[in-house]
Amino acid sequence: MKRLLVVLGAVCLIVLLLGAMHDLAPASVELHAAVAANLTASGVEHPVTAVLLNFRGYDTLLEIAVLLLALIVILAIGREEASNAEATVDVRLLVSPVLQTLAKLATPLMIMVAFYLLWAGSFRPGGAFQAGAVLAAAAVLLHLAELLPSWQSPGARLRLGLAGGFLIFLAVGAGSLMQGALLEYPLEQAGALILLIESGLTISLGLILAGLFLLLSRDDGETS
Amino acid sequence: MMVWLILLPLLWASLAFMLGPSRGVWPAIAGLVAQLWLAFALAAEIVGSGAAMHAVGGWGAPLGIDLVADGLSAAMLLLTQCIALPLAVYAHAYFKRDDPARNYFWPLVGFLLAGLNALFLSADLFNIYVTLELLGLAAVGLVAAGGGAQQIAAALRYLFATLVGSGAYLLGVALIYGTYGTVSTVTLVSLIGADAPDLVWIAGGLMVLGLMLKTALFPFHFWLPPAHGGAPAPVSALLSAVVVKASFYLILRLWVGPFSSLTVVASLVVWFPALLGTLAVFWGSYQAIRAERLKMLIAYSTVAQLGYLFLIFPLLASAGALQAGIMQVFAHGLAKAAMFAAAGTLIKATGQEMVAGLAGVAERLPVTLFAFGLAGITLMGLPPSAGFLAKWQLIELALSQQQWVIAFVVLVGGLLAAVYVFSVLRQAFLLAPADSVVTPVSRTLEWTAFVLAAASVLLGLRGVELMQLVGVT
Repeated sequence: MKRLLVVLGAVCLIVLLLGAMHDLAPASVELHAAVAANLTASGVEHPVTAVLLNFRGYDTLLEIAVLLLALIVILAIGREEASNAEATVDVRLLVSPVLQTLAKLATPLMIMVAFYLLWAGSFRPGGAFQAGAVLAAAAVLLHLAELLPSWQSPGARLRLGLAGGFLIFLAVGAGSLMQGALLEYPLEQAGALILLIESGLTISLGLILAGLFLLLSRDDGETS
Repeated sequence: MMVWLILLPLLWASLAFMLGPSRGVWPAIAGLVAQLWLAFALAAEIVGSGAAMHAVGGWGAPLGIDLVADGLSAAMLLLTQCIALPLAVYAHAYFKRDDPARNYFWPLVGFLLAGLNALFLSADLFNIYVTLELLGLAAVGLVAAGGGAQQIAAALRYLFATLVGSGAYLLGVALIYGTYGTVSTVTLVSLIGADAPDLVWIAGGLMVLGLMLKTALFPFHFWLPPAHGGAPAPVSALLSAVVVKASFYLILRLWVGPFSSLTVVASLVVWFPALLGTLAVFWGSYQAIRAERLKMLIAYSTVAQLGYLFLIFPLLASAGALQAGIMQVFAHGLAKAAMFAAAGTLIKATGQEMVAGLAGVAERLPVTLFAFGLAGITLMGLPPSAGFLAKWQLIELALSQQQWVIAFVVLVGGLLAAVYVFSVLRQAFLLAPADSVVTPVSRTLEWTAFVLAAASVLLGLRGVELMQLVGVT
């Protein structure tokens, strides 16, 4: 009965939305034109990167905070004392050597791809988010091949790596705020500043995304 | 100046994270002192020279994001910082050295406050969504941190509620962007006023309903009592006092801003929030009277007190309704923070959490009980408290427009609040059973709660300044 009501509500909403979208006039504000007109002043050549890091860079700053926060929430919920001692069952033998060799071969390639994506972001699709995701995928692959242990409570260096990218971004924001407006880059340095921010973000996002996986899998020691 | 209110908490939150588990209290308190000063300076500037604007990146809407501080946002910023600083001092004394909830408390609180401050300043619908995410995730983390299975279950329920709420809001934003091609609230006011296709009505409905879920307005309050009642006391205080008010602020903003032309066309729609608010006042008070656990009583009282906020919607057309609503936000915020803080002290001292076990605390913890009583005065709406001022103004407005029902709800709600506040006080003044043990607690815990409670009462004497601030546009 409850499920039926939910389905009925969802169907009604879909019908309403489709009906209302049917007679929709074109939007009155054309943002594509504004983005294209200001692209030369943004410091990068690709419109997506320009929107993410310059026009709406403040959104991105807060998004990075959300990702870092997600990791902190996982750390805050975790019970570190339960997972440490007894979970060290040796499962190394279960993983095939083929997988391990392939993972060892793929990892350097993935790191290279990540840095290519970071560099390509300024003139074609790419950028820190994609590069960080590839880095994180490499870490997850190494973990699944049993070459990288799951993470316990992160140490000082790892915490610096996790928060470093966000702090660089924040520092650029604070610096630009003292000069004028938040995240308003001087025209000549815009490209360099965006590259600096994106480089820091690539490392930190890679670590954060990998951490979301490697921290959550820390209690699975016995079951795998 | 206003941007530092967002950057400072982000900075001390990430510093606290880098320093390591359970570290970072001093950067946090230093940051909070600076934020409090900034909030006062911003309010003074706005009263002097009108609303302030900051174009992030120097682009300006619609290409970039604008931050706008008018009287309403400055007042909310002021309330948030005023409550956060005493609660931070309280939390420092509250958590024991080995309490797992303390490990990541400071980073989580920092991100929570950054989300709140960013939300109050933003004039961009999508940017507001990002701040809602920051806020919701930090709040869920604070509820869950270091807790047992029950606390994590409450946090998970809270997470689902807040995600569904944000999801509905985001769908609304997407529809608005599809219709007008912009998400700037300032630009949208005239665009929606000029032409509002059906899609905008659906978008508005989704956004307001999603935010009502996040505000825990009856009947969407199901997640609030377990989450607020189960969290550690400083967290309950912060969540009940300011976090639920953030989504209320947003409903109010949208209602008098972009969607103001819609509410003129469909004039009956103003009674929808008022009806739910009325039900919330009665249902929340009834549950608070029946509650056996002290923190559940206070959490249900939050459900009831949030109801008053929604009674102002039918009156918004006349001057002063906004001020009455914000006065109630301040009164409840300060009083509820004080009440949860006092309850945390009482529970710590008596070692149990039932109302029935409070006998004898009046002579052992007089300051804490006095704080609880003062906060109760504000919730009941007795003079000279801020709660009295808010209710007085609400009743006056309701009577001047012949809305007898609203005046009646406000009066009865005050009486019901008296019932549950006195049920606690009566128990506390009973003689202690011979075998009861009251462990001594830190003075800091007692006096921070007292400061908050006294502020909620004394604000009534300085209400004119606050109302003047809220009026600045």
